[in-house]
Amino acid sequence: MKIRDKLLFAFAIYVLLAAIIGFVAYKDLSTITNRLQLVQVADDITNTLLEIRRHEKNYLLFRDKDHIDLLSSFLANLKQNIDGIQREIILDIGNAKYMELKNSIGSYEKKINEIVEIHRAQSDLARMVVAAGQRLQKELRDELLQRFIALRQLEKDFLLKKDSRSFKVFQESFVAMPQGDDLGRYGMLVERLHLLHTREAEIHNAIIEHARAIELFTTNLSAKERADVNAILALSRKLLVLALLTVLAVGVAINVKLAKSIVIPILSLEESTKRMAEGDFSVVNQIRGHDEIASLAQSFNDMGRQLNETMGSLELAVQNLHEKQRQLVEAEKLASLGTLAAGVAHEINNPLAIINEKAGLMQDLMELSKNVPRKDKYLDIISSILESVNRCRTITHRLLGFARGMETTVEAFDISTAVSDVLGFLGQEITAKKIRIQRFLDSFLPAVASDKAQLQQVLLNIIKNAIDAVEEGGVIIVSSLTDGDDAVAVVIADNGPGIPEDRIKRIFEPFFTTKEKGKGTGLGLSITYGIVRRLGGEITVESEVGRGTSFRIRIPLKIHAKKEI
Amino acid sequence: MHQTTILIVDDEVEFASALAERLEIRGYSAIPVFSAHEVLSMIEAHNPDVILLDLKMPDSDGIEVLRNIKKIRPFIAVIMQTGHGDPDSVRLAIESGAADYIMKPINIGELTKKIEALTEDTEKG
Repeated sequence: MKIRDKLLFAFAIYVLLAAIIGFVAYKDLSTITNRLQLVQVADDITNTLLEIRRHEKNYLLFRDKDHIDLLSSFLANLKQNIDGIQREIILDIGNAKYMELKNSIGSYEKKINEIVEIHRAQSDLARMVVAAGQRLQKELRDELLQRFIALRQLEKDFLLKKDSRSFKVFQESFVAMPQGDDLGRYGMLVERLHLLHTREAEIHNAIIEHARAIELFTTNLSAKERADVNAILALSRKLLVLALLTVLAVGVAINVKLAKSIVIPILSLEESTKRMAEGDFSVVNQIRGHDEIASLAQSFNDMGRQLNETMGSLELAVQNLHEKQRQLVEAEKLASLGTLAAGVAHEINNPLAIINEKAGLMQDLMELSKNVPRKDKYLDIISSILESVNRCRTITHRLLGFARGMETTVEAFDISTAVSDVLGFLGQEITAKKIRIQRFLDSFLPAVASDKAQLQQVLLNIIKNAIDAVEEGGVIIVSSLTDGDDAVAVVIADNGPGIPEDRIKRIFEPFFTTKEKGKGTGLGLSITYGIVRRLGGEITVESEVGRGTSFRIRIPLKIHAKKEI
Repeated sequence: MHQTTILIVDDEVEFASALAERLEIRGYSAIPVFSAHEVLSMIEAHNPDVILLDLKMPDSDGIEVLRNIKKIRPFIAVIMQTGHGDPDSVRLAIESGAADYIMKPINIGELTKKIEALTEDTEKG
């Protein structure tokens, strides 16, 4: 997935989360609004009910028309309120309960009407009782009148108190009276009034009961709706916290994932660039995926590989250059050494010739003389001088030969045969030291057009050195092979003691010898080197202490014009 | 028997005189010549059989001296002495008429052998 897609994906997840949270919050809010309406309705009902109860009490106390009118109007309000309740709220309350409420209100209204009727009946009846009492009072006489007046006193008390006790007191006195038709009717009227009073009390109780039921319902409704609103609010709060936590967690997870998939490859790339800056081009950084960073890493790797290859070939070129420079320096050094050596040799040669002649003359004279004391001793000394001069002569001649070179005669010959010939010359020395010669000579090598005598001199020098180097019974391996299209090579390897690294560098320098003092002039290899170079070839040496030394002589098939040294 | 006369031409006085003395001891008549300029007059004076000529002298070129000798006395045997076996100089000397060459320091035996060989030839010739 590309980084752009990743970012878009993360953004989409955020937007989705925000939309979900927004939707939930909106739904909660609308629910809360509905519930609050319900609370409002419940409160309205409760308030109306309170008004009704107030007027109900006032009416019951004063029994006047004003209060009953007010009560009726509030009751109408209440019914309107109840009827105006929205359907969904009714569903929420429950239809049965709603109907119960309506029934309760209906019953309440009925009972109120009933009690109003009863009150009217009571006042009618009370008027009738008073009228009947007044009529009887006019008709009765004497003692009976006195008793009836006392009874009327009890009647007044009952009318005032309207309770069963005062009615009973009245009844007891009434029963004790002598009965007549009028008195009977009067008593019956009082009794009917008592019955109405009882009925009123019953209805009153019913009214209280219904009112309480309505009150309880509205209180419950209000409380329930408030509780619901609170519950929803609490749930919303929880949801909000949960949503925030989810957003936080998802956000962190997405960001961490994004950061990992973007930053980690970048860091890895950065690490690689640092290493590359430090010169380590072999670092190939693997980044999985198909995004922009992966393709960047791919380009980076390609660049690294190309740089690595370029650096590799550059290093090789520099190495070659160093090698050439080293060879050049070596050749220059040897050339100047040769010039110096030749100069020294030439200068020394003349005084050497004088010493030689003087000593020779002394020897001649000594030999001619008869009576020279200690003649033999002197002759010994002279011959020692001559011997030393002879050694010097060898050195100067070789030095001059090394410096000036010899005439080059070019002929075509087979190098393997030339090697065999040289080995033949040295047969005696090889046998004497019991050396095993292993020949790997290619008899089908192309003919070489070069100076055979000089090359044989070279081979002789090298093989002689090998013979000197190995122990008795040592092994010398001589091989000839092709070296590229335009040259052949002869390799002479021995299992002698080898040459330490610090000495191998100087091995072709004049007067440098690894042999014992007095055994070598230190010129053999420098002359050999000079010859090989003059013939356009190369001579190299490899050696390991304790394992042996190997010389490789490269001879071009044709002599190239080369600077003489 | 004719005594062989040898001119030793070398600017090194000590060398030439010592070598002359040694050749005298060996029965030759040897005359040292220390300068190239004197060579022709000495030839006139001594009529030598063999001339031992140094190839390189500070005041003259040995090859030039050799050619001059050959002009007046083509049959005198000249042995060139060189400090080294420079093949080009040797070849040039031989081409210019030198009979042989010998390298310094000289081995007396080698020199007398060469002289004998050369004088035998002339005697025979």
